[in-house]
Amino acid sequence: MTISDKIRKVRVGTASCGLAAGGAAVLDALRAQAPQLDIDEVGCIGHCYAEPTVEVITDAGSILYAGVDASDKAISSILGLGDAYRFHIPEARAQKELLKVLKLAGRINPVSLEEYMANGGYGALKKALDNTPEWVIDEMKKSGLRGRGGGGFPTGMKWSFLAAKQAEQKIMICNADEGDPGAFMDRSLMESVPHQMLEGMLIGAYGTGATRLFIYCRAEYPLAIKHLKIAIEQIYANGLNKINGRELEITIKEGAGAFVCGEETSMIASLEGRRGTPRFRPPFPTDRGWNGWPTSINNVETFGNVPLIIAEGADAYASVGTAGSKGTKLFALAGDLEFPGLVEVPMGTTLSEIVFGIGGADPEKVKAVQTGGPSGGCIPKELFDTPVDYDSLKSLGAIMGSGGMIVISNERCMVETARFFLDFTHRESCGKCTFCRVGTTRMYETLERIVAGNGVAADLEFLETMGKKVGKGSLCGLGQTAPNPVLATLRYFRHEYEKHVIDGQCPALQCNNLVDVYISKDKCIKCRLCIKNCPVNAISDDFVVDNSKCTRCNTCIEICPKKTIARAKKGECNCG
Amino acid sequence: MDKQLIHFKIDGREFQVAPGQTILNVAEANGISIPTLCFSKKISRTTSCFVCLVKDAKTGRFLPSCSACPVEGGEYDSSTEEVTDMRRTALELLLSEHQGDCEAPCTIACPAHAQVEEYVRAGRKGEFLEALKIIKQRIPLPMSIGRVCPRFCEKDCRKNVTGEPVAINDFKRLAADMFYDTYMEELPPLSGKKVAIIGAGPAGLAAAYYLRLGGVASHIFDKQPAPGGMLRYGIPEYRLPKAILDKELAHFTEMGIEIECGKELGKDLKLAELASGYDAVVAAVGCWKPSSMYTEGEELAEQGIRWLEINNCGHTGNPGRTVVVGGGNTAMDCVRTAIRLGAPEVTCCYRRTEKEMPAEAIEIHEAKEEGVKFEFLCAPLKIRREGSELIMTCQRMTLGEPDASGRRKPVPVPGSEYDIKADTIIAAIGQATDAPEGFSTTRRGDIQVDSNSNLMIGNIFAAGDCISGAATVVEAVAGGRKAAVSILRMLGLTDEKPSRTINVSRGHWQKNNLTRENLVFLRSDVSDAERVQLDLIELTRRTSGFEEVSRTLHQSDIMAEGKRCIECSCTAKSDCKLKKHSETYGASTTRIGGKKLDSGYDSRHPAIIQDRMKCIKCGICVKICKEVVNQNLLSTKRRGFSTEVGAAYGNPLPCSCTECGQCIVECPVGALDWRLKE
Repeated sequence: MTISDKIRKVRVGTASCGLAAGGAAVLDALRAQAPQLDIDEVGCIGHCYAEPTVEVITDAGSILYAGVDASDKAISSILGLGDAYRFHIPEARAQKELLKVLKLAGRINPVSLEEYMANGGYGALKKALDNTPEWVIDEMKKSGLRGRGGGGFPTGMKWSFLAAKQAEQKIMICNADEGDPGAFMDRSLMESVPHQMLEGMLIGAYGTGATRLFIYCRAEYPLAIKHLKIAIEQIYANGLNKINGRELEITIKEGAGAFVCGEETSMIASLEGRRGTPRFRPPFPTDRGWNGWPTSINNVETFGNVPLIIAEGADAYASVGTAGSKGTKLFALAGDLEFPGLVEVPMGTTLSEIVFGIGGADPEKVKAVQTGGPSGGCIPKELFDTPVDYDSLKSLGAIMGSGGMIVISNERCMVETARFFLDFTHRESCGKCTFCRVGTTRMYETLERIVAGNGVAADLEFLETMGKKVGKGSLCGLGQTAPNPVLATLRYFRHEYEKHVIDGQCPALQCNNLVDVYISKDKCIKCRLCIKNCPVNAISDDFVVDNSKCTRCNTCIEICPKKTIARAKKGECNCG
Repeated sequence: MDKQLIHFKIDGREFQVAPGQTILNVAEANGISIPTLCFSKKISRTTSCFVCLVKDAKTGRFLPSCSACPVEGGEYDSSTEEVTDMRRTALELLLSEHQGDCEAPCTIACPAHAQVEEYVRAGRKGEFLEALKIIKQRIPLPMSIGRVCPRFCEKDCRKNVTGEPVAINDFKRLAADMFYDTYMEELPPLSGKKVAIIGAGPAGLAAAYYLRLGGVASHIFDKQPAPGGMLRYGIPEYRLPKAILDKELAHFTEMGIEIECGKELGKDLKLAELASGYDAVVAAVGCWKPSSMYTEGEELAEQGIRWLEINNCGHTGNPGRTVVVGGGNTAMDCVRTAIRLGAPEVTCCYRRTEKEMPAEAIEIHEAKEEGVKFEFLCAPLKIRREGSELIMTCQRMTLGEPDASGRRKPVPVPGSEYDIKADTIIAAIGQATDAPEGFSTTRRGDIQVDSNSNLMIGNIFAAGDCISGAATVVEAVAGGRKAAVSILRMLGLTDEKPSRTINVSRGHWQKNNLTRENLVFLRSDVSDAERVQLDLIELTRRTSGFEEVSRTLHQSDIMAEGKRCIECSCTAKSDCKLKKHSETYGASTTRIGGKKLDSGYDSRHPAIIQDRMKCIKCGICVKICKEVVNQNLLSTKRRGFSTEVGAAYGNPLPCSCTECGQCIVECPVGALDWRLKE
């Protein structure tokens, strides 16, 4: 196997996404074939659809390979700087993306303090320590950074509350309990550049006078936890935790998987060893938090922004973004689009630019995007010109949330989409408050009835009134936002609900109880593949689907070489 | 310390309080009632039920008043329709997951709402005087009803799941028989008000009874020569001996109730005069007009209710071969009376089958024992006389689709006519109300009243069969009581309201297919023995005379029968906060539906029962045990709708539980309670 002598370094993406796609085997193969080369493990570059990715650094620049595997073909192309598997970042994305927080993600070894520092790491901390804590808080306020966990509360202001507290102990917690289905910004950042977030925490501790640091990370993120642990040891070993004359302890608490523990008072309860349930605020955590001490809780991405702000200065930072939302935002793009992955764009980028441009979704096939995960809402395609920031999304009935963005195609039923999200939230309710525990369950049951074809017109009114009441009558963000997917779909896609309950039809042809499967005989070549593969023998020898037997598993639709099999509105097809 | 007062408003009322007070604290201290379920002064806030919501008028946000402190200049709504609606919705959501029996099914089934479980329990302990007192709170005629009641309670008794129902009615009969001549209610002094009651039947007597207990005298008028109404003139001697009835009625006279017989409304009495001469009038004139068969020659037949009346006043003599048309209780009374009069052959003709017969199964069974023949799917077409014989031409029927009553409709079979020969034919196919002049009536001809108060107009009330059509004695006394309570309320002598009560139920044993696993056994000594047997006199004595068919059961048998009672009702029925608030806020048990938890109840602890199906997850018990008792034996488990409270690892309460009962005292719904009911 020829190994190009131009290669200076090889980087293999082995964050969770890379590993899941087979990155470890690629790494092993590369090392076996070229033991003499400097082959490094790096985090995620954000192009999930292209994993596993390999970057080859040459004197002439870097070359990206994507979708590689451990085969000789792939490995020899990489090592020989061949054309096969070469990857070019799509034009639209290259234009729109602004890598600031993710600048080092996938470009350095996550657990190498040297590499982080060689790229300017801990320079911001040094700069902060050279100034006063008040200056830090001031810079944070001026930067306009708002909490990236979803609430959008100004970080500088939250820190100033903590800074103003006179207490023996002050606590700073990093919320790394990223629980939204479809969201993976925080995981990626922790896996790829763990020091960046930790540097932000140390700067925060300096500014606020925090005496103890916690990272509350979900246990489902073992790689992130592993990298954080290594990074914390490196911080200890290098004395980077000496802040305000103390050696700060940084404790990782692994969450047991309750979504509600992402809510700050629940998280504190869980950190204290109690059941993770929210409590009434006030008092806010900055007044009474962990074990009664003043506490500030900020999200991973928020902390990830802090070194940038301190390093480049608040004014430079605030030059990016919109009037009310500064800086860049990470989005986890998922759903019905060409290029799912992690992107970073300036606040104010339009949904069109993100979904169609960066995500490569087909404008003809997309009908909406769900932002903010299960607590968010859907935004119809017609409103995709909206610039994305905290306030614009809220005005549309959605939320920024932590940055999950799920693209929904025309083939998806909006009622089913709402049911899917409520399935998650009603299970994840901590079970404490009446409206959330029982209200979301009753809404979920109603949605289940509707998608099963048993809905009645009164169900829509029930969903709307109960949804509003659950929002008003719940203690924490989980319950307050749980009805959002239902209320937003009712707002923008009420006609789909009405079709279900009035006409007994699912316009997207997704709800199994409301569709039939038929074979159009004119194009059928009688290959019998459908008959052979039907798991319930619902297709007769003369190619008629017995819809009373059919389970709508789609096997025949997918297997038909002539695409003659399709779903149709129940009872509307007499194609025999 | 700077202790500035905070100024704010609740429902427009101004308050100023020191910081740290919650809105609920301030409201409670100032007589503003805010409902709570999860709040207890003994523990830190749970903030879980959200029944105590108030609205912050300035921000539009809803706040749990148990936890929210007022802010300077704050304005809070606690009584607007919006707030009430939110509270009601919270209650309805809780009701939608709450499972239990606010009341035992027997009490719910009883038209008079008698406290069945309580008097059965007293009977089980041998405290029959106590049982009688409980019975008479709702049933003023226990000797009669103890003999003739169709036992609605027993039909819904959960004991039906595993066998035969508890012999509930026999408790009444025994308790009443034991104390009929010694027991006298404590009568309050008379208020000077007086009510005229027309009709000395069960409804009229009940009205008089409860009026007297409320301090109001009554004057009952009856057109018959003796009081009792249907009890005397409708029900035959063998079911309710006149001597027993006389004893029972004597009690009313002893209570000072005036009964004047031989006075008929419209003839001897004028409604307008009664209405002006008395503080109120109750019309309880019954339902005495026989319904027509609409067949040719009908006039040749006796009318069931009239025929029974004659036989209750003195016997007609042997009616010969007798055919009774009809399938109700009156028809059964007729056939069995005919047997006792010596009829050589008695046949009951009914147009449907035995399954559809409205008569009580026990009546049909006993009639068969006594030799009555049944001719089902048979409808009369015409009656004619041939010499000394009556010939009834009948038509065969077959059962078609169910009709409005849910029973399958009889449909004639063409060409199936046949004749039945008889000496006496009795039509017992129903009765209608013969409303006296001056009364407004319904389409069916019954007296029209407001169903909540039994008020017809002005100070004129009505009760019993005359407003419902022919029904049962127990329904009549329930109506009589309702009229009495309405009158007492009108006269300002009672606070008792025709209150809306809610009832959460674990379900009907039959309609909901309950199994033994669905039953909650609080006592460990619930007996699985067979139901106590009726003590009937010998068949020859039954068919040869009018002696009472059954004897009152013995005390020891009834006490043993009491052990069979499961005691279905909620241990917290007198102090359940969910029920109380739901009734106050008009919350419905059915408006919000959906699945209920299937987590069962835990009776492993000898003294404490933990019923997770009742639990509303308010969290008080967990905190009480942790923060007050310092034991920390209870915890919340799981998430979402499956959240439940219990001891660790699903274990029973451990022996370290000192049974201090603090959790029980604070539980708002009786999910944690003492096992033994008092």
